[in-house]
Amino acid sequence: MDIEEKEIAFSTVPFGPQHPASGHFHALLKVEGERVHELEPHPGYLHRGFEKLMEYRVHPQNCVLVDRADVLDPFSCELGYANAIEKTAGLEIPERGRYIRTIMAELGRILSHMTWIGVLSMVLGFDSANKIAWGDREKILRLNEIATGGRLYPCYLCVGGVRRDISQEFVDETFKALDYLEGQLSFYDYFVFKNETFVMRTEKVGKMSAKEAIDLGATGPNLRACGIDYDIRKDEPYEAYPKVSFNVITRDEGDAYARSLCRRYEIAESISIVRQLLNNLPDGAFRAELSPVWAAPKGESYFCLESARGEKCFHVVSDGSPCPYRVKIRAPSFLHTLSEFPYLAKGSTIADIPAIYWSLDSCPADMDR
Amino acid sequence: MINEITSLLKSKFPDSLLNVVSEDKRITLLVKKEELHQILSQLKDTGFNHLSDVTAVDYIDEQEFELIYHLWSHQEKIRAIVKVRIPRESPTVKSVVDLWTGAQMHEREDHELFGINFEGNPNLSPLFLEDWEEIPPFRKDFDTRKYVKEKYYLEEEGYPVAKG
Repeated sequence: MDIEEKEIAFSTVPFGPQHPASGHFHALLKVEGERVHELEPHPGYLHRGFEKLMEYRVHPQNCVLVDRADVLDPFSCELGYANAIEKTAGLEIPERGRYIRTIMAELGRILSHMTWIGVLSMVLGFDSANKIAWGDREKILRLNEIATGGRLYPCYLCVGGVRRDISQEFVDETFKALDYLEGQLSFYDYFVFKNETFVMRTEKVGKMSAKEAIDLGATGPNLRACGIDYDIRKDEPYEAYPKVSFNVITRDEGDAYARSLCRRYEIAESISIVRQLLNNLPDGAFRAELSPVWAAPKGESYFCLESARGEKCFHVVSDGSPCPYRVKIRAPSFLHTLSEFPYLAKGSTIADIPAIYWSLDSCPADMDR
Repeated sequence: MINEITSLLKSKFPDSLLNVVSEDKRITLLVKKEELHQILSQLKDTGFNHLSDVTAVDYIDEQEFELIYHLWSHQEKIRAIVKVRIPRESPTVKSVVDLWTGAQMHEREDHELFGINFEGNPNLSPLFLEDWEEIPPFRKDFDTRKYVKEKYYLEEEGYPVAKG
């Protein structure tokens, strides 16, 4: 038989769950040669059912448990859960508590974005940047340790405020770390973001239009890279965000490079936010005292916040008992990985798959919950 | 803007709006199942182009599921929350995949964890659970602790020991 007459032979190539670039996520690629025809996602490797587990636990336990729902930006989960409960109860949080929370949330964003610089560089075969970014990430982990006692999981927030006050040592060390990171950013510009190989591997890769992005449910830097200025810190301000000035970073290209630049400039904005908050830190109480078995009144609330990955929302229903009746976490990675990624993978090459996947910055733990 | 949307919906769907709560930048609607798809479609045309979430709450005492659609308008910067009550015995609604592609995965998740059927969704295969034979695990009558004890632990002298 002549070779042209043969039917196109598709082969199936697995991506993950043991692939260093995939994390705990598995996808099957249907390929013809190098060209990807279809990507079938198979999540579930990190499904622990947090939303159900939280129904059995009281609020202080849940604030600790929910950390694990997003490994790379854990503080955002604590913040979302506590705020949803406080909103149901109409609790007043002391001003200093609000400031400290916002500082930790922004440090969490920097932490997550630094991790992402490292992993994206690694999957593009650029391991030096990975090592350097993860080294610089240590600075933030050290700050977490000083303030909270935990490095990766802060377990710092409680309903009503934060568990303990920040010290002068933390303030001094944070200023030092921010100065250092700001200096490093111009180094990253030269070393990573203007690096010829990095640009070549990300420019015009995984491109989507604003309309497509909205339809697929994109949020966060992935949507802002398509030119939509959706940032909940500005649109539905919470905590101390109304007190600080910052810019919402947008780009118009909508490709992997635009997404990368959005995150890079967001780090700079976060540094500026933390500085403003530290300079104006009010005195006073840092939490409202509540009993450990304090129960929120009957009711429900829906609270949205801007996590490092995008829109993270908590829908909490309380029935008047110390445990929530139902918790739903709207996780940004859920749609990044299961909705946008298969769409962008269609028609790309196998070599671009890790680049597209990590340019979306999804966290498998956040996706599966 | 919220008031305009409310009056538009009230004039178009007078029988289906059971409750409307308007806040500063948020509108919460409780609607009837029959016209759910038309109302969501109307809201999309009004500017709510982002489907943020589709989620469910199991109100077992009332034998009902509450299905909640969270919408966001990128132009007006307001949120709409659309709730619908469906019977627990036959939980079926029309899919909104034709309105938002992103709804596909939300509906698949709700189908797996609550057993809600979405008519018109092309793929409702399980996402997270492998070889699951029990009732959908996020329903209130599924006891996670009991399941884990029976499935993974042996009771020996009063202490739970993991099955090896």
